[in-house]
Amino acid sequence: MLFLSRAQVITAFAAVGLALYVLDLVRRRKLSEEYSFLWVVASIVVAVLGFSTPLLRGITHALGILYEGSTVFFLGLAFATATLLYLSVKLSRLGQENHWLTREVAFLRHEIEQLRDRAAAGGEGR
Amino acid sequence: MPSKHVLVIIPAHDEEESLAKTLAEVRAKAPGVDIIVVDDGSKDRTSAVARAAGVPVLRHCVNLGVGGALQTGFRYAVEHDYAIGVQLDADGQHDPAYLDALLAPVSEGRCDVCIGSRWVSSTGYSAPLSRRIGMLLFSGVVKLALGRRIADTTSGFRAYGRAVMEVCQHDFPKDFPDAPLLIALHRRGFRLEEVAVQMRHREAGQSFYTLGKKLYYPYKNLVASLMALLRKPA
Repeated sequence: MLFLSRAQVITAFAAVGLALYVLDLVRRRKLSEEYSFLWVVASIVVAVLGFSTPLLRGITHALGILYEGSTVFFLGLAFATATLLYLSVKLSRLGQENHWLTREVAFLRHEIEQLRDRAAAGGEGR
Repeated sequence: MPSKHVLVIIPAHDEEESLAKTLAEVRAKAPGVDIIVVDDGSKDRTSAVARAAGVPVLRHCVNLGVGGALQTGFRYAVEHDYAIGVQLDADGQHDPAYLDALLAPVSEGRCDVCIGSRWVSSTGYSAPLSRRIGMLLFSGVVKLALGRRIADTTSGFRAYGRAVMEVCQHDFPKDFPDAPLLIALHRRGFRLEEVAVQMRHREAGQSFYTLGKKLYYPYKNLVASLMALLRKPA
């Protein structure tokens, strides 16, 4: 391993910290395993890049980027964009499910009211 | 016409002030039809007003928008075996005197959806300029897609045949059932017609088209229209 800059060390430790925090959120049931996966993978990637200068240089060179820091930013931005899009899709589906549930509840409530009315009418008839 | 087969679906969101009058008017002018009120998450006494009038109510616990309310009405109509469903606004804009004219083309099998249109002939309706521009734009979009003109794409006064309701109870635009719906219905092979109706100004309450929606509406309708064209009819 080559000499690590201060920025790299901070980035790498921040990534490890993020992964641990994400896992703790899962432990406390504040975050589902499904969503934690994205974050843990992202933090591992950042941590590996932070600790391994040759890998970061290699990727930076392969992508045609001049400065290593920009590679980390680029990957972070790509990750954030992908995550937001993924969440928007999830939200849309949740919205549809909500829509369906709301209508289902409306029907059930209507049926209960009808049954109650009928029961009340039957009670009076006796 | 067997009007006992007709269900008037009234989507209502915070319409306690005008609903009683609308219900009374439907009963007076179209005594043979059944009515269902879909209370779309109202915060006021909309449901109570409908029940007091002896009209069944389907109540959404949250606001879904006029499309969602209609979809609920369609499902009710299909489950209760109605032949035709009529969409009629709670705010008193739509005159039930036109119900027969609206129902005739559907019940006679000349079309599957009949739109009560403000623009087929001179009907004395005047809309604000922004609304007129929007109406022209979406009329154009619908004309491109259907190959024919639908004068009033945004009219909320429509009669739907059973086959249409069967499809729409599952698949329906959520918020604005306007141009995208007409395109989707046309793509499924349903026949659309228009008849001239007069519309009045709202009696009271809030329009579904609030400021935020006014900005979002053109975008959403354009995208949804395009998608209606691109999607394969199921």
